[in-house]
Amino acid sequence: MHTFSYVKAGSIKEAGDLLAANSDAKLLAGGMTLIPTLKARLAQPSHLIDIGGLPELSGIDAKDGKLTIGAATRHVEVSRSAVVKKAIPALAYLASQIGDPQVRNRGTIGGSLANNDPAADYPSAALSLNATIVTNKREIAADDYFQGLFSTALDAGEMIVKIVFPVPAKAAYEKFPHPASGYAMAGAFVSQSGKDVRVAITGAGPGVFRWKDAEAALGKKLAAASVEGLSVDAADLNEDMHGTKEYRANLAKVMTKRAVAKLAAPAAAAKSKGK
Amino acid sequence: MDQHEHHSRLFKVGGAQVSRFEDMRLITGNGKYSSDWNAPGQLHACFLRSDRAHARIVSINFDKVGQIKGVVGVYTGADAQAAGYLRPPSFLPPTGKGGMKARVPERPCLAIGKVRFVGDPVAMVIAETHLAALDACDLIDVVYEDLPAVVDPEEALKPGAPQLHDDVPGNCPVEAESGVEAPVMEAIAKAAHVTKITVDCTRVTASPMEPRAALIEYTADTDSYVVHTPSQGVNMTRKQFATYANLGEDKFRVEIQDVGGGFGQRSTVYPEYVSMMMAAKALQRPIKWVSTRTESFLTDTHGRANLITATLALDKNAQFTGLRIDWITDQGAYLSPTGPAGHIRNATSCMNGVYNIPALYGHFKVVLTNTGWVAAYRGAGRPDIAYAIERVVDAAALELNMDPADLRRRNYLALSDYPYKSATGSTIEIADLPGLSAKALALADWSGFEARKAASARKGKLRGIGMSAVIEPTGAGSYPRDEIDISVDGEGQVTVHTVAHSQGQGHETSFAMVVAEALGIATERVKIRQGDADRAPHMVGNHTGGSRSMVGAGTVCHIAANKLIDAGKSLAAEDLGVEPSQVSYGKGEFTSAHSKKKITLAQLAAKKTLAAKGEGTFISTFPNGCHIAEVEIDPETGITEIASYLSVDDCGHVVSHTIVEGQMHGAVVQGLGQVFGEHIVYDKESGQMLTGTFMDYIMPRAGKLKSIQMEEYTTLSKLGPLGIKGMGGSGCTASLPALVNAVVNALGVRHLDMPLTPSKVWKTIQQTNVKH
Amino acid sequence: MAKVELKINGKQHSFDVEDRTLLVNLIRDHAQLTGTHVGCDTSQCGACTIHMNGMAVKSCTVLAGQANGADITTIEGMAKDGKLHPVQQAFTECHALQCGFCTPGMIMAVSGFLKDNPKPTDDEIYHGLEGNLCRCTGYINIVKAVKQAAKAMSK
Repeated sequence: MHTFSYVKAGSIKEAGDLLAANSDAKLLAGGMTLIPTLKARLAQPSHLIDIGGLPELSGIDAKDGKLTIGAATRHVEVSRSAVVKKAIPALAYLASQIGDPQVRNRGTIGGSLANNDPAADYPSAALSLNATIVTNKREIAADDYFQGLFSTALDAGEMIVKIVFPVPAKAAYEKFPHPASGYAMAGAFVSQSGKDVRVAITGAGPGVFRWKDAEAALGKKLAAASVEGLSVDAADLNEDMHGTKEYRANLAKVMTKRAVAKLAAPAAAAKSKGK
Repeated sequence: MDQHEHHSRLFKVGGAQVSRFEDMRLITGNGKYSSDWNAPGQLHACFLRSDRAHARIVSINFDKVGQIKGVVGVYTGADAQAAGYLRPPSFLPPTGKGGMKARVPERPCLAIGKVRFVGDPVAMVIAETHLAALDACDLIDVVYEDLPAVVDPEEALKPGAPQLHDDVPGNCPVEAESGVEAPVMEAIAKAAHVTKITVDCTRVTASPMEPRAALIEYTADTDSYVVHTPSQGVNMTRKQFATYANLGEDKFRVEIQDVGGGFGQRSTVYPEYVSMMMAAKALQRPIKWVSTRTESFLTDTHGRANLITATLALDKNAQFTGLRIDWITDQGAYLSPTGPAGHIRNATSCMNGVYNIPALYGHFKVVLTNTGWVAAYRGAGRPDIAYAIERVVDAAALELNMDPADLRRRNYLALSDYPYKSATGSTIEIADLPGLSAKALALADWSGFEARKAASARKGKLRGIGMSAVIEPTGAGSYPRDEIDISVDGEGQVTVHTVAHSQGQGHETSFAMVVAEALGIATERVKIRQGDADRAPHMVGNHTGGSRSMVGAGTVCHIAANKLIDAGKSLAAEDLGVEPSQVSYGKGEFTSAHSKKKITLAQLAAKKTLAAKGEGTFISTFPNGCHIAEVEIDPETGITEIASYLSVDDCGHVVSHTIVEGQMHGAVVQGLGQVFGEHIVYDKESGQMLTGTFMDYIMPRAGKLKSIQMEEYTTLSKLGPLGIKGMGGSGCTASLPALVNAVVNALGVRHLDMPLTPSKVWKTIQQTNVKH
Repeated sequence: MAKVELKINGKQHSFDVEDRTLLVNLIRDHAQLTGTHVGCDTSQCGACTIHMNGMAVKSCTVLAGQANGADITTIEGMAKDGKLHPVQQAFTECHALQCGFCTPGMIMAVSGFLKDNPKPTDDEIYHGLEGNLCRCTGYINIVKAVKQAAKAMSK
C-alpha cells in the first residue's frame, strides 16, 4: 500500500465534508474490495474516510411495502435478518452467497453498490427491484444509477446513505460462481411485482443489465419455459480465459431459468445451499 | 496366502496413534515458519521485478530511492556479477542424446543485461522497514529495450524463435532419449492398430500455503551465513547455497522448524536468497524477505508443463507391442536444479506403466521459454508419464471399441513377471495389478455403470467413468546413504536425529512410531529432531521429496533402533554380569535369564552413553494402484461433480494409516485441482501471466471431492527390512488420468486437455451436439 | 501515524503504527503473535482469519485503525486454562492438518461459523469453508473435524 491518512468519520456530515475537502480521498466501509486494491498498489488515495461504524448508516426496516437497508449494513446482517427474510427472502439469500463468511462479516451493501463491480451480486437485486439509492444529496433510481464497469451516477463527494427496495410479490436469485474468485460468472435476479417482471443479469457483462426480452416473455407467463427460445446477446458480454461471451450468455440464460423455477417453487428456495 | 494378505497392522504401537506429535504446536499457533523468524537489527528486502517477458536492460537509475526514509542499499546485476552468484546448481546429466553436451544457462541472482520472464528480479532494495523498501522499489527507473518473447514451448523450438540465452542455441539445453528407437518403430510399422495422442500436462504451481520467506544472517568471524527459509531438507539447502555462491557447505548453517508445504517447490535455493547474502555481508545486518502470493505465482518454480505425444502399437489381440513417447518439457527461462533431470529420469523409470510393453522409446526435448522456471512438483514426471500412458490406453480402447478395463487386463504384467526389467533399463520390483485392479473394479461396481449412467441421464446429467492403473518409482536418493542418529538419556527419553525434513508429512510421529515399535516402548518416549543445525552438517542423508522419506530415513530409524539395542546389550552385559550374547532385550529392558537381572534403557543410559548410528542405502520402490472415478456433468453449465472416487493402493507396508490416508487425500485433490482448474497461463503476445492470484488460479476448495473410498492391496517391498514403498505423490499420479478418463467418457470424446473447466466442458458439449 | 488501542486475547494493547498498517501486521509484528499467518494478498486464502468482536474476519483485509477499540481473539487465545478449544481438539484427532500453515485460519473460521450454525449439513460446511484454502489435506479430514467439533460443542 502507498501512504494515506486514515480518518474515522463521526457523522455522515463529517464524512461528506472530508470528502469535499480532499479530492483524492476515498470512503472506506467494509474495505473488502478497497483494501485488496490498495494492497496491489492500484490506487493511491490521500485519505481513507472510515464510515464503517456510523450508526446513521446502519439499520434494516420494512414498512409500507418498502425494505430499507442502511448503507453500512454488513452482508451477514442482511443474510440473517428476519425482517429481510420476511420481506424479500431472495435478498437474504443473495447476501448469503457473497464472497465467503469472513467477507460477509465485513463487507457492506453500500460498498458493493458504490463500487459496482461487474461481477458483484447486489447490483442485480437493486436493478431488478428498481431500488432507490439514497445518498447524502439526493435519491437515485437504480435504473439511472448503474452506468457500466465500476461506474455509477454518484458524483464526487456523494455517498450512499441507504437503499430502499420496493417489496416484490416474488423474487429469486441464482448465480454461477467463478471457480476461483467466487464472484458471479453470471447471476440472475428475477422479480415479479404486479404484472411486471424484471430480470437483472450480473457477472456476464461489463455491468449489471436488464434482460428485457426475458422480462417480456416472463410477463406473459412466469415459467422457465418462457425463456427457452430466447438468448442473451453475447456481443457485449465479457470474455476471458475463464469463459467466452457465448458461455456467459448461456449461463445468464440458465441462471434466469433456474431463478424462475425457484420462484415457482418457493419451498425449494429455502433449501438452497448455505444459510 | 496371497502376498497382499500379509499387511496386517504390524505396528501395534502405532495403531493407537491418532493425534500427531507436531499437531499440538501447530493448532495452538506455536508453530515456527520461515516468516516467523526475526533477528535483532534486521533489515528488510524488497525485489524490483521485470514487468515484461523479454527485454534488454539499458539502464537502471536508483538516484531517487534516497527520498524514502530508511533505505539502506540497492543491489543490481552488477553486484551479482561482482559476487559471482551466477549459476544455481543443476542436476541435469552432462550429456544427452548422441553425446549432446547439455547447455545449462547462467541465472545470476539479479538479472544482468537481460530479463527473461515477468518477475525476473532486477534490483533488491534494503531498508529499515518492509514498507520503506516497497516504496523505494517504485522509485527505481529501469529503461528496457523490449525483445520479442516466446511463451509456447513448440514455438520456442522453431527456427527464428526469439533466443533467450546466447549460449543455448535453439532454446534447447539438451535432448535426451531412453530405450531404443528402432524396435519401437518396427512395432509401430507392424502393428494391427496404432493409437497416437498428444496430451498437455499443463503448467501449474504447487502453491504451498506458506509463501516463500528468508532471514539471512552473516557472521563475520567465520565469514559464514545462518539461513532460515522453507526447505525440504537442510543438507540439500546447504549444498545448493554452496554451489550457487561458490562457497563451502560449511559456510551455511540452516536453522528451520516448520515448513508450510513443499511439494517439490521448496527443494530449490532461489536467487532472492543468494541476493540477500550480498546485503547481509555488506551491511553486517540480518536481512529478511517475505514473498507476496503474487511473487509466488510469478517466481516460485512451476510444475509439470510437459507436452507429451504417446504412440502405442497393438497387435491383433490388442496386446501392446511398443510405445513411443515424444516429450517436450517446458522449463521456463532458466533451468532449476531439479526440473529437467527429474522429468526425464522419472518418466524413463516407468515408461511401460503397469504393462508388458516389449519395446519402449522416449525422446525428450528440454525447452526454454519466457516464463517462470519449472521444477519438481508432487511426482515430478511420474504423474506426467502415467497420464500420457493411461490416456493413450483409454483412447486405444475407444478406437477398438473395447472395455478399457479389459484392454488393461490383457496387458498387465503379472505378479510372476516381477521383478521386471523394462525396455528403458529399469528394474521394477513388485506389483500385482491383475489382483489389485480386480479388487478395484469389483468395489467400484465397474460392470454396473450403465445403470448409474441411465439414472444420471434421467436427472439430465452426463455420467462418465474412468480408471487408471499406475506405478511410479519412489525412494532412491541423491546422497550415498541415509543416516539416523539415535540416543537415550537417563530419563529413558529416546532422541532421534534425521536430515529428512517434514513439510507436513509428520515425521515426528511416523518416525517415532518406527523407533517405538523396534524398541517396544511408548511412542511418547521418542523425540524426532529434524535438521538440527549443529548435527546435520555431520550427517549424510536425503531431503524429503520424491515420496522418499519413509523408504529411506524411516527405514533407517528401524535399523538405528536395532543397532541401539545391540550396543545396549554390550553395555548391559557388564551390569547384568553375563556375556553380551546372554542379554535379551524387550519392551525397554535388557534382561538376562542367566543372572535373573534386568536393567532398563533409562538406567543403562544414566550410567553409560547409549547411542548408535544407523545407515542404509535404498533404490527405488514402486508403489502402484488403481483409481476409479465417476463424474456427473451438468450439460447446461458444464460443471463437473465427482460422483464417486475409489482408490486401491499398494504402498507396501504402512506405518501410520492415518498419515498415509491423509497424504492420499491431499495428493488426489492436487491431481483434481490440475484436472478441473489449476493452470498457469501466460498471454501469448505480451508474455504477462494471466493467473497471478487466487482470484484467477483455480485452487480446489472444500466439497469438490466429498469423499474417497480408500482400500489397500499390498505387496511388500523386499528392498528394505520394513517392506515400505514411498507413497506421498501416488494419489496425484493416479487421479490425473482417472478423472480425465471419466470426463472424456462422459462427453463421448477421444480427448480433452486439462483444465476441464466448466466453460471448456460446456463448449465441448455444444460442439459434439452440433456434430450429432 | 495512528494510535491503535485494542484487546487481544483478553489483554489490552496500545500501538503507534503507520496508518497503512494492516491488522495482521499489527498482530504479527507489533503484538508478536505469529500464529496468525499470511498466505495471499487478495483475501482468498483465509490463513489470517481471526475473531474481531466475536466474528471471523480476514485480518489481512482490515486496517489496524479499523480495529481500534476492538476485541480480538487469535489462535493463541483459543485454548483456555490449558484446555484446547473443541475445534482444535477435533483438528488433531481427525488429522485435519498436515503442514499446519492454514490451520490457525481454518480453526478460527470454523469456530466462527459454528457459533452461528452449530449443526451444519455437509453443504453448509463446504459453504462455511469457502474463505479458506488448504493445500495438504484435500479438505476431507477438515470437514470430518468440523462435524466432530460440532458434535462435541453441542453436548
